[in-house]
Amino acid sequence: MIRVENIKKYFPIKDGFFNNKSGDVKAVENVSFEIPEGEILGLVGESGSGKSTLGRAIIRLIEPTQGNIFYKNKNITKLSDSEMRKLRKDFQIIFQDPYASLDPRKKIYDIISQGLKVHEKMDKNSINQKVEEIIQDVGLQKEHLNRYPHEFSGGQRQRIGIARALVLHPKFIIADEPVSALDVTIQAQILNLILELKKKYSLTILFISHDLSVINQIADRVMVMYLGHIVEVANTSNLFSNPQHPYTRSLIETAPQIFRKNKKKTLLKGDIPSPINPPSGCVFRTRCPNPGIDCKGGNIEMGLIEVEPGHWVDQCCANCN
Amino acid sequence: MISENLLSIKNLKTHFTVGESVVKAVDGVSFNLEAGKTFAIVGESGSGKSITALSIMGLLPNNLAQTERGEILFDNKNLIDLEENEMRKIRGNRISMIFQEPMTSLNPVYDLSFQISETIILHQKKSKEQARKIAIEMLDLVGIPEPQKRIDSYPHELSGGMRQRAMIAMALSCNPKILIADEPTTALDVTIQAQIIDLMQELQKKLGMSIIFITHDLGVVSEISDHVMVMYLGNVMEIAETSELFNNPLHSYTKSLIDIAPQISDEKREIKVLRGEIPSPTNPPSGCVFRTRCPNPGIGCKGGDIEMGLIEAKPGHWVDRCCYECNQT
Repeated sequence: MIRVENIKKYFPIKDGFFNNKSGDVKAVENVSFEIPEGEILGLVGESGSGKSTLGRAIIRLIEPTQGNIFYKNKNITKLSDSEMRKLRKDFQIIFQDPYASLDPRKKIYDIISQGLKVHEKMDKNSINQKVEEIIQDVGLQKEHLNRYPHEFSGGQRQRIGIARALVLHPKFIIADEPVSALDVTIQAQILNLILELKKKYSLTILFISHDLSVINQIADRVMVMYLGHIVEVANTSNLFSNPQHPYTRSLIETAPQIFRKNKKKTLLKGDIPSPINPPSGCVFRTRCPNPGIDCKGGNIEMGLIEVEPGHWVDQCCANCN
Repeated sequence: MISENLLSIKNLKTHFTVGESVVKAVDGVSFNLEAGKTFAIVGESGSGKSITALSIMGLLPNNLAQTERGEILFDNKNLIDLEENEMRKIRGNRISMIFQEPMTSLNPVYDLSFQISETIILHQKKSKEQARKIAIEMLDLVGIPEPQKRIDSYPHELSGGMRQRAMIAMALSCNPKILIADEPTTALDVTIQAQIIDLMQELQKKLGMSIIFITHDLGVVSEISDHVMVMYLGNVMEIAETSELFNNPLHSYTKSLIDIAPQISDEKREIKVLRGEIPSPTNPPSGCVFRTRCPNPGIGCKGGDIEMGLIEAKPGHWVDRCCYECNQT
């Protein structure tokens, strides 16, 4: 469905009187992956790891600095804006904060129908019908269409955000931390709704989250991201039962659990380094609990190698282990 | 219970008057905090966790909030009856608090030295120089590297984790008996959250204070607390020792929370759901406040005829009587 090759995104930093470029924020570095049709691919990492930038870059909401993106085997990296606009209805995003992502001055009907008005040449009646259908699909009622966003709770707003994303029957959804701002009971409702709708509308989803337990519940395959790099990729059960990268391991061990099987916790020291000036070689080496000798010097380049079928890990750690 | 209660709260009610309606944010909360122990308060947003904490600290505006009846017993004094100047001697000194968002709770225009020294000068009658020295020791204690240098930093120069450490340093600088932590790790990344939880446990061992830990995350509760209180819509649903609560929950709300909490497992699990949303506190359901969302309400419960109130089902394990009676029959 989606194939990404060596994608990079640098944001230039401009400084001084003449706005000279003084450096780059290296948000995404040489990332390649594929999402087969019908899959939920989880993308997990701390804040500042580049998850959201990557999500936006693959549907060209921000232009990648380098690399190629293929959608259904068609290279969409070089498409013109007008050609891209026609494709836009196939890609939709569900955002994190349902308070900030709905226009407070628009009625729910207008929020949901806007995409239809732009992309589909439909008469009023069929638009009405579509909107009414989708609002029921997300578990709200027709009567809600005449209200404004502030009249809804966080969970309901997230349902509206989902309705807006799905009304055009997109093929590919980027869910960018869709449940992080919600209470646990509401979080479970929304996750369930996403799974239901995925079946009904046969969606392919990139699910971005910082919460491993959520990823564990919903994703088929998981990518772990750290400072712009993918450090491990595997299918969900493999990643959680047999994590290879020390970063993944620490994330799993430190995720708070009600019933913990393994009491061992490896705490990572310090904070994630600045992406303006990342460590040379393996970017994780400054926080690694047991770095190898080569690794410490920063001489090993980043790059994934396959340790078992479908399970990829950064070569630095694969060699250390 | 034989062990010593440091803080004892009996039937605390905090109500807000909003226009003509009354919001019962906290409606009859009772619990005991033992010396040197961690007591967790858990619940969804709007359940009254934070208002309970702010009531203990006496930080709610008098004109809006009425802390009616009830008792907050600390050191043989009822904190509700204290005058503001007496309360000031306790707040930040004997009982102190840390908050969720360290960026908004630190003052951006003062450096750490000023902010941490402030409480020390006020409560311990130290000179500026002595206070600064203590402040540096505190920063060292909470694991901030190069405290000599960092003491002159402003909040925006620190990362989220470092800011939370600085907040903890400030809260602990007068060696309080009780630390109230209101969602201290919610705004932080997982790896940083683990560091802060670890730090708090270490400091508790070292300094022997009691902690009231407010969170919505049952996983965090299980890591850190000795006792847990589950709140819903201003009422207490269940109180028990942590392992007892998780292994043997009696209230259907607690059971639902445990069922739906996302957990890491090797095989894929079905996502369980609790229907509906927390009702408005201006117009709570009559009788048991949870009955509108209860997965299996009893007959008496449905009608809303059963009044709220805790029953001791087993020694030290308290549960709201509505659910207790439902489960019996």
